[in-house]
Amino acid sequence: MHMCDKSTSLNKSRSLWAIIFVATLFCVTGKAQPKGFRPVSDLPTFKKQFATQSAKVSSIESSFTQEKVLTALTEKISSTGKFWFKRSNKVRIEYTKPYTYTMIMNGDKLLLRDDQKENRINVRSNKLFQQINQIMIDCVQGTVLDSKDFNVEVFEDERTYLLEMVPTSRSLREFFSTIVLKVDKNDFTAASIEMNEKSGDSTAILFKDKKLNTQFSDAVFAF
Amino acid sequence: MRCLLFESIIAFLLVGCSSEYSHLQKIQDVGDCPDKVLPLIIKTSWYDASVDVVGKHLSGLLFIKNMPDSSKRVVFTSEAGLTFFDFSFSKEGNFHTVSVIKQFDKKAVIRTLQKDFSLILGLPFLQSPAERYSAGDDFYFGFKEKYGTAYFITNKDCASLQRLEWGDRGKRLVTVRTPGSGYPTPAIIEIDHHTFSMKIKLTRIEKE
Repeated sequence: MHMCDKSTSLNKSRSLWAIIFVATLFCVTGKAQPKGFRPVSDLPTFKKQFATQSAKVSSIESSFTQEKVLTALTEKISSTGKFWFKRSNKVRIEYTKPYTYTMIMNGDKLLLRDDQKENRINVRSNKLFQQINQIMIDCVQGTVLDSKDFNVEVFEDERTYLLEMVPTSRSLREFFSTIVLKVDKNDFTAASIEMNEKSGDSTAILFKDKKLNTQFSDAVFAF
Repeated sequence: MRCLLFESIIAFLLVGCSSEYSHLQKIQDVGDCPDKVLPLIIKTSWYDASVDVVGKHLSGLLFIKNMPDSSKRVVFTSEAGLTFFDFSFSKEGNFHTVSVIKQFDKKAVIRTLQKDFSLILGLPFLQSPAERYSAGDDFYFGFKEKYGTAYFITNKDCASLQRLEWGDRGKRLVTVRTPGSGYPTPAIIEIDHHTFSMKIKLTRIEKE
């Protein structure tokens, strides 16, 4: 009975984490100034540029490397996979090594598939999911800097914008303390994302071999 | 008629409540059999975890680490990185929750997981002495704990570990099997609960 409750709520947590992961791929957000970075002096111009450039990206196809760090245990595990995005709300994240796991978001629907089974979730069934969905839309549209869900500070170096996002809502704060997104200045897409948990553990995802605005089938997001 | 009904009820209750360990024959001398199997130690490893509980399914990554002070840590994360819980077992087997997310933070859930992990880590078997039993082709070694009796079961030549079990008041509660390669590097660990629908399958991950 309790285990059933656990499973249901855990599935929500897993789904939530998946959506947060997806949402932050497109977002920008800190407290102390990150080393090697300076605050963006003209934030209004950056906001406008971010929104304008984001609108130009209709699709992304990319590889990624994820590194999960268990800080207290001085342990990390790396995984690799493929990532697809198509405007405005289709995302597929596929882990291929050393384990297989797929997340597909298509509109309000979310699929989580592991080696054994798959879970289909309606994002609209939960207020928190709706909140996160809105974050994703804000991020894709380049309007996340106006989001009420995060306090966002923007920094830059020569090649990168760094957005340090501190969650303001209790529901998001339960899962992580900050999210740091690095955005390529040349195309305003995510170069890396780092999700920091309250425990000190963190997960960093580095995107590589990005292809923008290429043609690929919607079947990638079908389930 | 009434008497027949009464006898039927009694017979039903006796069958229904009969001990799943009643066939065990207590024995004394098993030589060095336990020493061939114990201690059960899992090397520090990552596992791909699949959990089916009361019709629901979830998955993630389970990390088991042997710490320098001989304590053990069990950490469960999602594939995308979120840490669900971090449990610690001291050298003496004492349990401590290092961190747990709200969704897992229920007494019954934590106790169930504590017992499951304690068994696969072989912690109950560090205590002594064991009760020794024979049943068919197997030897049973039972260690009484606060929440029941932990058994490790071998074949009679003690060549291999057959399975691990938690039992309580004659009822089998949990069975652990390691098909394929066994300790200290089990490729697969299967945990089956018998009093409610819950199965956990752990498949060892070779890190890149």
